[in-house]
Amino acid sequence: MIVEAAQERLVPKTVEQLCEIVAECDRAGRSVRIEGGKTLSGFGPVLAQADLVLATIGLNAIITHEHHDLTCAVQSGVRVAQLAAALARHGQFVPIDVPLCKRATVGGSLASGWPGPRRHLYGRARDFVIGSQIALADGTLAYAGGMVVKNVSGYDMSKLYIGSFGTLGILTRLNFKTLPAPRRRRALIAPLPEATRSRAVSQIAALPVVPAAAFCVEGFGKSVDGTDDIDGRVLLYFEGSDEIVDRATLQTRSALGRAGVPETAIVDTGASESFDRSLNACIANKRGRSITYRSLGLPGTAQERAVGLRDVCNRHELFTDVLFDVMNGDVFVRASERDAERFAAKIGLCHAELRALEPHAVIVASDAPIRATFEPWGAPPPAIEKMRALKARFDPHGTLNAGRFIGGI
Amino acid sequence: MLEQRLIDALGADAVKTAPEDLAVYAFDAYSEGKLPTAVVQPGSTRDVAAAVKIAKDCGEPIVARGAGTGLCGGAIPANGGVVFSFARMNRVLELDVPNRRARVQPGLINLDLSKAVAHAGLFYAPDPSSQKVSTIGGNIGTNAGGPHCLSYGTTVNHVLELEIVDENGDVFTTSVDDAGYDLTGLLVGSEGTLGMVCSAWVRLLRMPETVRVWLAAFDDVNAASAAVSGIIGAGIIPTALEMMDRVMLPPIEAAFHAGYPTDAAAVLLIENAGFEDEMNAHESQIRDVMKEHGATTWRAARSQAERDALWAGRKGALGATGRIAPNYYIQDVVVPRTKLPQALQAVEEACAPQGIIAGNVFHAGDGNLHPLLLYDRGDRKQVAAVIEAGNEILKAAVDLGGTISGEHGIGYEKRDTLTRIFSTEDLATMARVRDVFNPHNALNPEKIFPPGVGCAEVR
Repeated sequence: MIVEAAQERLVPKTVEQLCEIVAECDRAGRSVRIEGGKTLSGFGPVLAQADLVLATIGLNAIITHEHHDLTCAVQSGVRVAQLAAALARHGQFVPIDVPLCKRATVGGSLASGWPGPRRHLYGRARDFVIGSQIALADGTLAYAGGMVVKNVSGYDMSKLYIGSFGTLGILTRLNFKTLPAPRRRRALIAPLPEATRSRAVSQIAALPVVPAAAFCVEGFGKSVDGTDDIDGRVLLYFEGSDEIVDRATLQTRSALGRAGVPETAIVDTGASESFDRSLNACIANKRGRSITYRSLGLPGTAQERAVGLRDVCNRHELFTDVLFDVMNGDVFVRASERDAERFAAKIGLCHAELRALEPHAVIVASDAPIRATFEPWGAPPPAIEKMRALKARFDPHGTLNAGRFIGGI
Repeated sequence: MLEQRLIDALGADAVKTAPEDLAVYAFDAYSEGKLPTAVVQPGSTRDVAAAVKIAKDCGEPIVARGAGTGLCGGAIPANGGVVFSFARMNRVLELDVPNRRARVQPGLINLDLSKAVAHAGLFYAPDPSSQKVSTIGGNIGTNAGGPHCLSYGTTVNHVLELEIVDENGDVFTTSVDDAGYDLTGLLVGSEGTLGMVCSAWVRLLRMPETVRVWLAAFDDVNAASAAVSGIIGAGIIPTALEMMDRVMLPPIEAAFHAGYPTDAAAVLLIENAGFEDEMNAHESQIRDVMKEHGATTWRAARSQAERDALWAGRKGALGATGRIAPNYYIQDVVVPRTKLPQALQAVEEACAPQGIIAGNVFHAGDGNLHPLLLYDRGDRKQVAAVIEAGNEILKAAVDLGGTISGEHGIGYEKRDTLTRIFSTEDLATMARVRDVFNPHNALNPEKIFPPGVGCAEVR
């Protein structure tokens, strides 16, 4: 009987411990997989078992919240929702909009570079990082930035680490600038049959009060806004003062009305939960029988890209759920089938066609075994050679998250 | 021969070799470097790439230059070499109104971009005080800020895509939407040491419905500083929140006649933008905060002309100091907002014993101070005193939890002071990036890194 060795997993409680462990692995040639909240393990390739899983959740202190200065500093293993709650106590927030925020860690969320649907209004999460501390493969602990909201002192290393999927080092601490939290949040939800969609999208993009987020959704059943309507709906989120939210409601109802959408429901209590559900849907799997693709691009082309991807999947007789971000242009399409066998039979050719249509679309979620045969990251970006050179300089032995990233990095 | 090869590749119009021309390009707004060997003014990305290959082949360092308004020596040719002036690459290449973005060349003047897109109800937000002259490429090099970055963010928050010529003369692009490392974010603020920007897609914002500008005067600088914290603490992030003090107000008012009170200890210039009813609500909140902190005067600008005049005074402050001193040395430090009173005190304590007068005109909202140390360059004792005081101010800013540059960059001036905020490991880690993009130190040598920070040894 062959028994697979149990995966070794360590949960260091201090940054010094973490550095020691990493340095030891680097010296001994042991591969390390970095683990945060494990919410994005379906994002990217299926990986071979590493020699060691190094979890960051032991680094879970909120180091400081200087609420008068609108800055804070946290260890990377703090959960996103935990940070949000701490900042909310002084009426502040940082827009880290990621799926499964109760589990996702701050470090992991930033390492994934998840773009976030409110970025057109507030900026990306990376725009709020004012300093960082990282543990490199050789055990070096390096600091960048500081605790002030403006800083041009050397290279902005935080930008390099953010979105690097743990391949350059392990984030141990992040300093943020914060924003005053909006007084109110409201969701406006309306059915959106396909015929009305183009006009509605144009109207939404032109609204004088800019929505904090706006999604056009097809499918996803009860997981997004609670209806089974596969014909489509739009979810708009507004934040701000009472006056702003009320004015936005009037403008939106009138704009959607002009687009041929008759009924708009208002959701005040539960608006935040609705927003979280929309985010979560972007990486929700149908157990063993779905793959979710994400395409980034201009807001003006989002609907066209969504329809293009959806139609390819439908031609291969796969079910589809579609969500696109009207304000930023992010498109999520989930292809699925009734069972794993049927899915595996159809997805191969479908994937090839999807790739031909959108060479840069990435696989952001799947637990289907068949996905191991697909390249999840799509075509490498123009500067891939510079990226490989950076990896070689920061992690020459390939100790950290080997193979996790684009281009085999 | 370098000059002939450059002329053959770019045309004689694009190459300068006359000594009087070269002398000009040895300077920027901070200081003077070595005489460059040649100056090129490329007209296209292809020109840039060709010239870089030639310079590399001839073993010449390369220094990129926008308008040369940099305040810490970022554009001076520290080791001579070839200066790349982007003055001819100064156009808006594409304007995409529905997606609110524009593709621009690096030599385009910052304010000209906003003017070019105003007809579509759009503007480019990063607004350094030099914006009438400074260029987008230079702004990208220093991650330029300005008064409005308080709410809109700095240049890096507005750059979507870069087209870069690297140290080999190869061209590559980086986009914030590309999978992979955020090279776009890394390159912004890298002060010409990792590559040269040949074009960029930048984000444009919708002009707000209403803009309001208010003025509050105080008898006491500490009260004004506390009022700044009061506004931020009330949950209002204005679009701009600037402070000027009693040293700066008289020359500013004499030059611009904007209606600044010349007898105040400090004046706050506050701007906010948004919807009319929002601005009404903010106006009464901000007025209450000002009164609470003892403002002696409070008024709102009543017309576009008055708003423009107040801003002209603020942005023209440096020029106006010519009325009160032959020279000034401008500092650029940041402290946490709540430490503003201590920081201003530290400026006073650094300067008074040396007999130096310091004026303050700065971005109070984000704690970014610009002490102006006034002196006469002809008096060597004053020069020494000003340098000493400047060092004291940097030290004080760091001791207060701040940093040594908020927006001007490190350049040549502040290389050695980087060691005050970063350890050897921190700097060696940054040097790993330089090893990838600038292994031969040909791109803007002697900038950012303290001398001696070389390739980190791989353990």
